[in-house]
Amino acid sequence: MAVYGQVILLGMMLFVIGGACVLIRRNLIMILIGVEIMLNAAGIVFIAASLRWGALDGQAFVIFIMAVAAAEVAVGLALIVYCQGRSGSINADTYNTLKG
Amino acid sequence: MKPILLLLMLFPLLGGLFSALFGRRVSRWTVERVACAGVILSFIMALIAFDSSGGKHQIITFFTWFQVADFSVLMDVRFDPLAAFMALTVTFVSSLIHIYSVGYMKHDEGYVRYFCYLNLFVFSMLVITLADNLVFLFLGWEGVGFCSYGLIGFWYKDMKNASAGRKAFLLTRIGDVAFGIAIGLFFLIFNSLSITYINGHADILTPGTMTLFGLLLLWAAAGKSAQLPLSVWLPDAMAGPTPVSALIHAATMVTAGVYLLMRLFPVFSGSATAMAFIAVAGTLTAFYGACAALMQGDIKRVLAYSTISQLGYMFLAVGAGNITAGMFHLVTHAFFKALLFLAAGCVIHALHEEQNIFRMGKKLRLALPGVYWPFLAGAAALSALPPTAGFFSKDEILISTFLHAGIFYKFLWFIAILTAALTALYTFRLFFIVFTGESLYYEEESEKSVEKPPPNMIATLWPLGVLAIFAGLLNLPAGWGGGGWLSEYFLNIPGAAHHGEIPHSVENGMAIASAVIGIFGIICAWFLYGPKGLLRRPDLPGAWGGLFDLLREAFYLDWLYRRYIAWPFEKMADILWNRVDREGIDRGLYSFANTFMLFSQILREWTSGRLSGYLFMLFMGLTVILCLLAINFSIL
Repeated sequence: MAVYGQVILLGMMLFVIGGACVLIRRNLIMILIGVEIMLNAAGIVFIAASLRWGALDGQAFVIFIMAVAAAEVAVGLALIVYCQGRSGSINADTYNTLKG
Repeated sequence: MKPILLLLMLFPLLGGLFSALFGRRVSRWTVERVACAGVILSFIMALIAFDSSGGKHQIITFFTWFQVADFSVLMDVRFDPLAAFMALTVTFVSSLIHIYSVGYMKHDEGYVRYFCYLNLFVFSMLVITLADNLVFLFLGWEGVGFCSYGLIGFWYKDMKNASAGRKAFLLTRIGDVAFGIAIGLFFLIFNSLSITYINGHADILTPGTMTLFGLLLLWAAAGKSAQLPLSVWLPDAMAGPTPVSALIHAATMVTAGVYLLMRLFPVFSGSATAMAFIAVAGTLTAFYGACAALMQGDIKRVLAYSTISQLGYMFLAVGAGNITAGMFHLVTHAFFKALLFLAAGCVIHALHEEQNIFRMGKKLRLALPGVYWPFLAGAAALSALPPTAGFFSKDEILISTFLHAGIFYKFLWFIAILTAALTALYTFRLFFIVFTGESLYYEEESEKSVEKPPPNMIATLWPLGVLAIFAGLLNLPAGWGGGGWLSEYFLNIPGAAHHGEIPHSVENGMAIASAVIGIFGIICAWFLYGPKGLLRRPDLPGAWGGLFDLLREAFYLDWLYRRYIAWPFEKMADILWNRVDREGIDRGLYSFANTFMLFSQILREWTSGRLSGYLFMLFMGLTVILCLLAINFSIL
């Protein structure tokens, strides 16, 4: 029981750390890493909940999340490489053409 | 009869459609031949129809154009002697002018447009000539107006030509308003729009209505036929190519107004007031045109004012109740004026687009005898020298004016015969300055050579020249040994009945008087404008300058319209545009929009373009929503 609460806390901390990474870093790769951390934080919470209630659905979800995360990283990294090739920068602030 | 009349109208229409649809894809040769063939075939059809109708009138319906309740508009024609004769004249003159145009437009790029308009014009003119239904007639009426507009502004790249076209279009529209009102009134009173029906039942009209119709139709006709006070567009219409001036602005379209009056003659012939108005408008215009023609320095403008003047005679004939004489003069005028314009076109062509008569002279006579003699024939006919066609037709108008009851018509007759003298004077002024003596600008002129016009241009002058001299045989008065064939032929036309016997003394006296006056005018012209003439110069000497300006500017009519009609209109438009539209409506809308701009200025600060900023807002929003959900959940 106590372990479940602690794992939830860990997941929350990882989620906040990942979110902070996404918000604060300007580097596109670091933002992508932040997103990955947030996804994995969600995964940890799913596993904990699955153990707590003895239901396998949660673990199946985590496998899906991993697969989606892998695909997302592949696409995301390809986009970053393209951005680098196009404008020579992977700083998120360079891409501000939608500025009002 | 029906297929012949249908083909008569369809040939020019098909020619025009061919030019419009395929003109750019086929060779120039084909376009020219198709256009000419369309009109010439139409002329042949007119001859066949003329021959087989035998002077009777018949009404033939092609089909119903449209129908609303009991108001139906039929595409039908009334083929009577008047229409037959007019159709013959129109198609004959058009055929010659089409052939002439092939030579005249040889180097012009816009030949497809030109022949398309010209063919459509002939079609519309035939619609006016033949139509029995007034709305169908109106279709042709507007059709000729449109083609005229397109051809006056034919060289539209020059702003002056384009605005001349616009002016003609607008001024004739002023007349069309009256025609539109008249059509509405006809339907209201007769419940029918057929000319035959209206003419047959004209006796139900009260004198007041007759006068009203007379004035409305006069107003409509004045627009089309360039009569006072709507005459100012015709001189400017000379901006178009010369064959167009010959066909549309001398021989045919401008006579449409007179023709309309003849067609609907019974409608107003019972009203002495309306007849007097028509006669006065005609007489004044004849005098006005002749005066203005006297001082023009541009060969085409002289002829334009002369056209206005001659159309005035036709109105006078209608006003004097003799539509046979009016039609006779219309036809002879079509011949000799088309001839004069075409000859003028040859002269202009020969001198490389030179229209100033003071740059011409005897070298033209020596270089172009083939133009000189037809021009002389045309000038003689215009001056009404016996025994040319113009002499007989004008004489008949003068006689019927003189014999008309009332001292008032005697006065009109006096002005008309004075105008006849002026006509001879200005015609031979033109002739002497163009074909005799030396050019006033000799030095500049010397390097310009006279270019011989192509033979098909010269060739078309001869048939017209012959007709200008001999067309008088159509209606030779009894005193000259003729039977008055045209008068007999027109007997069936409503309102063209015989006016009783003309006393021989009047007939002979009038013939002698007009012959003497014509010759007197020519002698004056020789002394004033001959090779050693006193007034052979572009202006009048010294103290006469004011008179010169007055006549040259045609009594300042253009200036008056510009000053008192166009200028206030422009001023009003300027106020509506600048004060009301720009400073009122537009400014209101702009300030309304600016209020919203102010709000959006605040909002746009939020879109910083920074990714982290957006994500931060996303997180904040998410947090708020989650918090709300959590609170709700805990309450439940």
